[in-house]
Order: sequence, then structure tokens, then C-alpha cells
Amino acid sequence: MSTPLIEITSKEVSINNYEEPFYLNLGPQHPSTHGVLRLVLELEGETIIGCDPRIGYLHRGVEKLAETLNYNQTIVLSDRLDYIASVANNVVFCLAFEKLFGIEVPRRAKLLRTIVGEMARISSHLLWLATHALDIGAMSVFLYCFRDRERLLNIFEKICGARLTHSYVRIGGVRLDFTQEIIEDLYQFTEEFPQLITEYETLIDVNRIWLERTKEIAIVSAETAINLGLTGPVLRGSGVAYDIRKVRPYDAYSEVEFEVPVGERGDTYDRYKVRMREMRQSNWIIKQCLDKLKETEGESILAEDAPDLLLPERVREPEPKPHPKKGFVFTGKEVPVVPVGEAFASIESPKGELAVYVISDGTNKPWRLRIRTPSFVHISAIPELIRGHMIADLIAVIGTLDIVLGDCDR
Amino acid sequence: MRLIERIFLLEIFKGLALTLKKFLFAKPVTIQYPEKEKVKPAPGFRGRHALVRDPESGNPLCIACMRCVKVCPSKCIYIEYEVEPSLKKRKIIRYDIEAIRCVYCGYCEEICPVNAVVLTEVFEYLGFKREELYFTKEKLLQNWDEFIIQQKRPYLNPFWRPRGYPEKMLPVKKRTFTGV
Repeated sequence: MSTPLIEITSKEVSINNYEEPFYLNLGPQHPSTHGVLRLVLELEGETIIGCDPRIGYLHRGVEKLAETLNYNQTIVLSDRLDYIASVANNVVFCLAFEKLFGIEVPRRAKLLRTIVGEMARISSHLLWLATHALDIGAMSVFLYCFRDRERLLNIFEKICGARLTHSYVRIGGVRLDFTQEIIEDLYQFTEEFPQLITEYETLIDVNRIWLERTKEIAIVSAETAINLGLTGPVLRGSGVAYDIRKVRPYDAYSEVEFEVPVGERGDTYDRYKVRMREMRQSNWIIKQCLDKLKETEGESILAEDAPDLLLPERVREPEPKPHPKKGFVFTGKEVPVVPVGEAFASIESPKGELAVYVISDGTNKPWRLRIRTPSFVHISAIPELIRGHMIADLIAVIGTLDIVLGDCDR
Repeated sequence: MRLIERIFLLEIFKGLALTLKKFLFAKPVTIQYPEKEKVKPAPGFRGRHALVRDPESGNPLCIACMRCVKVCPSKCIYIEYEVEPSLKKRKIIRYDIEAIRCVYCGYCEEICPVNAVVLTEVFEYLGFKREELYFTKEKLLQNWDEFIIQQKRPYLNPFWRPRGYPEKMLPVKKRTFTGV
């Protein structure tokens, strides 16, 4: 019955019973596509038999733009990738650059990075839950989630002076230390947050509409998920316990205890469950880090050999040369500003595996900066996940993959 | 799902009970923003730009070292300067910030060795034309005057002397700076 997209042009196949496929264009300005995602759907009745994501409506050329800015300035660009959790992007850029420069970050800065990273995870998951539930039809969850996300954003504002585009992490550490007020706010938040998660679960966990809309929708087996390149909560929902925080610990994750929640069947409901449990784990990580922060009171938050914000364009190594009249003259030959080489770093961002690969040619700007973002890979998995479902389920699938188009198009 | 739950819609009533409880007993979280309440940003909020006016002489503190121009990721700062022959000091003629291009990262105030430029906590500003958000030197000084009357003196922005930075990594003037 289903006609593949390729065979449409050959109309002469069977003129008598040939039925022209019905195409529906969804987006790019549709409110439930979470940004500017355009999907061309091939329909048969209300069943989707083909789906073709068209991306690039939010393309800003971040990778190319990074080649014209120096290493510290590219961190500002990274804020605009996944704008829901910008600290996670800051961290992965800095990790790659620190690996390239060979800088060891002080312990206090590592703890601070872990705290803000987990705060970003909670705030991203809250926004995901809010919009996902709103798409499916639960209005009140949206209001509750935004109420609590506001508290996190207020704490972010106290930490770094911005609510969305933080630019908080810098090469060799972080930009500002926490004050006592922020630590108290965070303690209060971690105390109250588990009860707030229970509130959301009261609203939708056993709600029959929610169950109807999410159970048995877009089932991904573990094998398919790995083959499609899915990462993060989507992969863990299928039962694969792959978490970069455990596999290749960065920052202070090796010091803290936490569990990696996994699902069983790999449907939309399992992915929802995984994210809800992940929020509890994040809360626990923040609490542990805050306790450890007391041990490092008064320590520096910036590595001793961290480069200046303003990386010089060229550096000359002073080399004394004898001069007949002046004694010695310092001429010097040019040396690379940063070490020549390449570096790769990946982290577990709220959406999945976020990785940066950077090549340096010795100048103060990256020669090439490649970003692997989870949203791009997840969008490419939509056709596989949606085949055979209804149009209404497509909204649930877009929601459950948790895509941000700024992250995908970059 | 058991039969009783299925018939009496128990889980839906549980959810409705939570909503009712919040409606009756919880404090409203909505802020009636422009009419009744004003939002006060946290200290160190990166808002409208300003040039710090020296309280004694009335001139900007800027020494035209051009570090902010070089560090700006969006390249929105323009400086012209002249050298005073008697003192051999640089003096700015033009200091322009294009607020529309600015990304509010705060690198300029962090890198400035004399704490002459600042992102103030003012966030309620707008312009109907592009020219209105093109801050010239006079406009930037005026921004500072508008901002500093609401503040407690001496004012010290967190980015001028970042908390937790090792002392020796800061320039001398930033190390000893106690606010304006």
C-alpha cells in the first residue's frame, strides 16, 4: 500500500489504481515543532508513511564563525547553540580547549561547573516536560514547571548576571565564585525540589490521557537506538545504560554518587520516566557538590596558567643576541600562542552527547571547530520513529526527542 | 488499572485536587510586572552599557587601551583617541557602543584594567530607531549618571573584581579598586 518517496515520479506504473500520495507540510512556523523545524509528511489517511525533515532555518554558521574569533570568544557563540542549557555548551567548549592547552582546572571550579551543569539539566528537563505536556494537552503541568524553572533562572542571574546566555565558564575555570546567598538559595531549592517533582507526577503520571498518548508510541529497541545514533535520555529510555558522566567522567562527576536511570520498553512513556528520575539524580548531585564546596572554601576558581581573556595574536620568545654597541638585543622568533594539535571533548548535555573537536594551528583562533550536537542526530531519527503512527503522535515524538533547533542548525 | 479506578476517574480527581489546593492555599507566583511590581535584577546583572564617570574630575576613566575593542566577540565597540602631548596620556574622543550588536557577555568590563566600562543593572530601555541604541560617549556617561543615583556608593560591579580570582592575575588597578 505504501508508496516510497522515490517512486512517485514514475506515474505510468499502474494508471488504474494509482493513488497520488497526500503530502502535508508541517512547519517551519508551527508552534509544536519547538522552533523552526519543517517536516514534509507523506500521508495515507491519517497515518504517516513517510517523513522528511527539512532543517536549516536557524543556521547561523557557528562552526565557521568560530574560526574568526579567538578561543575565549567562541564560548560566547556556544551560548546560542542549545539556548535552554547554555552552561552545558560552555563546559564542553572549555573542556576541549583545556585539553588542547593542557590546563588543569582547580577543584573548586570543577565543583562549580558540576553544579551549574546539573542546574542546567534540571531547567532543560523542566522546559521539556512543560512543552511536551502542553503539546499533548496537559496545560497545568506547563504552569507548574515554569514556576519552578523561574527559581533556577533567578539563581543563574545571581551567579553570572544573565538568565539565558550565561557565558559563565571560561578556559581554566569559571568567571565568578558563588556567594553565600547563592549557596543558601540552592540548598533551599534542593530541599524543596523532590516534592515539586511529585506534584508533576500527581498530575500526569497515571493520567489516562497521558498514558494513552505516550504508552506504546515510538518504540525504539536498544539496537535501533544505537544504530540511529541516539544518545542521552532517549537511548537510556531504551534500556542502554550509557552515560558519559559514568563512562568518561569529566569535571567533578567522578567524586559524586548518582544512578543512571534506564527504561525498559523504550516508548515515549519510558523516556518521560527516565527524565523525571534524572531530575531527582541531578538534584542529589547538586546537594553533594554543595557539601563538597565547603571543603574548598577560599580556593582559587581559575587555574594559574589560564590564558587571558584577550589572547594575543602573536607571541615572541625573547632571545638575547649580542649587539656590538647595545650589549644584547632581544629579537626573538615567533612561537605558537597555543599548542599546535587537536583535541576532542564530549559531555552528557541534557539532550544527549554533546561533543567538540578542535584543531589548532598555533594562532589564537581555532583552525577548525566541529560540534556534534544531539538534536541534529535526533531529528534524523524522526522518520524512523514515526513510521506507521498518526499525525497526532508526531507531536509526541518531537516532544519526546527533546530537540532544540538552535542546537541542530547551529 | 483497577475497575474502581477506571470507573470513578480517581487519578483525574487527584490531579484536580492538587490544582484546587494550589488555587486556594498557595501564594500567587505571578508578578504584576509593569503596573504594580518592579523586578529588581540581581547585583551584577549584565544590562545597559555605561562609561564610568570619575567622581572627582567628571571625565570618563577610560585610558583608551583598546583592550575592550579587541576582546569584544561581536566587535561592537569603537574608540578614537588622541595623545595629550604634555602628559603623554591617551584621551578618548569617541567611545561608541552599538547596543544592538552587543551580546552582553561582559568581557569588556572584565578585561578593562581601570574599570571604566560597565554593564549596568538597567534592563528597561528601548529605542524606536537604530540610532537611539547607538550609544555615544555622552550617552554612555548619561547612562552612568542615571544608574548611579539609584545605587549605594561606593559601587563595585562583581565583574570588575571577579570573586575568587587569584590576586596576581588581576591588573594592579583592579586589585586595589574599592568602587566608585
